[in-house]
Amino acid sequence: MTPCIIGAAALPVGRHQAPRDADLQTLERELLAGVVIDAMADAGVDKSAIDAMVFGLERDYPRQRYFGTFMANYLRLPATATLAEVTGNGMTGGLAFDQAANEIMLGRARVALALGINLETGIPTAEHLDNTMRHTGDVDFHTPFGFTPISWYAMDAMRYMHDTGATRAEIASVAVKSRAFAAMNPLAQYRTPLTLEDVLAQRMIVEPLGLFEVPGRADGAVCIVLASEDVARGLDTPYLRMRGRGFFHEGAHQINEVPNDMTAYLAAEAAGKAAYTQAGIAPGDLDFAEIYAPCTITEVLASEAFALVPRGQGAAAAAAGETGPGGRIPISSSGGCLSRGHPPWVTGLYSFVEAAEQLRGRAGDRQISDARLGMIAAELGNYNAALVHIFEAVR
Amino acid sequence: MTLQTIRRAGARPYPPRVSAFTSTFWAALAKGRLVTTRGKTSGRLSFPPKPFCPFSWEREVEWAELSGRGTLYSHTVVHAAPNVFAHLAPYRVCIVDLEEGLRVAGALICADEPMIDAGVEATALLHDDGPLLGFMQ
Repeated sequence: MTPCIIGAAALPVGRHQAPRDADLQTLERELLAGVVIDAMADAGVDKSAIDAMVFGLERDYPRQRYFGTFMANYLRLPATATLAEVTGNGMTGGLAFDQAANEIMLGRARVALALGINLETGIPTAEHLDNTMRHTGDVDFHTPFGFTPISWYAMDAMRYMHDTGATRAEIASVAVKSRAFAAMNPLAQYRTPLTLEDVLAQRMIVEPLGLFEVPGRADGAVCIVLASEDVARGLDTPYLRMRGRGFFHEGAHQINEVPNDMTAYLAAEAAGKAAYTQAGIAPGDLDFAEIYAPCTITEVLASEAFALVPRGQGAAAAAAGETGPGGRIPISSSGGCLSRGHPPWVTGLYSFVEAAEQLRGRAGDRQISDARLGMIAAELGNYNAALVHIFEAVR
Repeated sequence: MTLQTIRRAGARPYPPRVSAFTSTFWAALAKGRLVTTRGKTSGRLSFPPKPFCPFSWEREVEWAELSGRGTLYSHTVVHAAPNVFAHLAPYRVCIVDLEEGLRVAGALICADEPMIDAGVEATALLHDDGPLLGFMQ
């Protein structure tokens, strides 16, 4: 059974969570239920067809735990195939989709939901970092020096500039083109146009990355509706068919104790190749790529590793407009982590929302003309692992 | 080889956990020595030290002393810090390739702008409650 995407819905990315001391609290159950109902209306199938629900694990902050089983009750939604919460840091959303797709492929589910909610903006940033600094690196041999999750990407940027001669301005241009896309995306958190001068003028967060080159804090919620192809075909509306899938974990966490080229993103290269091979395509056949890339430099390096641009030229390609609106290979037409916004544990799921919009021809002003083939990538660590899905449009 | 040591007033902001096994590493660092484990059969060094060899999965390992010399692979300055490190910000951290062929991370101490691929030397940062690994350039 080939997995297909027949529906999708999401909250606009932004600050939804109330501060802890507010009289009125934001309830994760209410937000996600609304998104599920919207996604099912988009899919046009009855809730009785849903056999599986795979949730991305929630942040620690919302009060309700075992949220998946709680939501099965809240939505009155029995499941014959599976109900699970999966986790993998930034890859969480991608893994939720992957597991839901497995249930379709195994023939256990006719319709499956991949869904999740990430609420964290009620927690001040420095306190949030006390939590997330434990999610990357080694808590005993790295964290005691004060590494933060994005500090690893910053060190990629330092090394990349040293190796290739790329300038900070070229790398920063990714933030400008991301904003140009986001200005056309109603789900995007940051939509006011930006200039390169604006980006370069911001205060440093972790050198050489300034405020607009790293993701802002964000909440979000997403539901993707998957179905077997016979269900999708019977709906008589456009859908997405999964053509390829690739995964690779390099067996290293943050840094490899055996020195290697940290900026080569070997896991992305391997997962990309596997997905292209399974889909029977070359990278040049893609009409767009929606890439999990929290920082400017991450998108540059991932675009090279996925062979969308030549090695060492990712920053120059972004600066030349090749990956922006109207470019040769648009990357993250949603606006990406930097401007669509980055609620990390559902960011991966937002990528499927964008693919569903583009491949069904519903992306409005940011529609990529005649988009037929799109790639989605999720990662964890510093691209220590990558998960790639390739979809084609069926209309 | 004995590392240079630097006294640092106050406790480590986020102290590492010490196990019966890794206590050998931390006790050595407190005395200005950088050590790690090596598989007895594989002969391969690993870092951080582990009670087995991650390459061969043999349980027989021995402690080996490292020179502390290496080159700077990359570095950054953290300005937006977690609460527990906020009083130190901005501060430098780095990735170093040791001459024994191991990649490690640590604090970076340098007077001028760091130079990637240039030499660094490990140093033991002696806080009131225990040591941390640093590199000087």
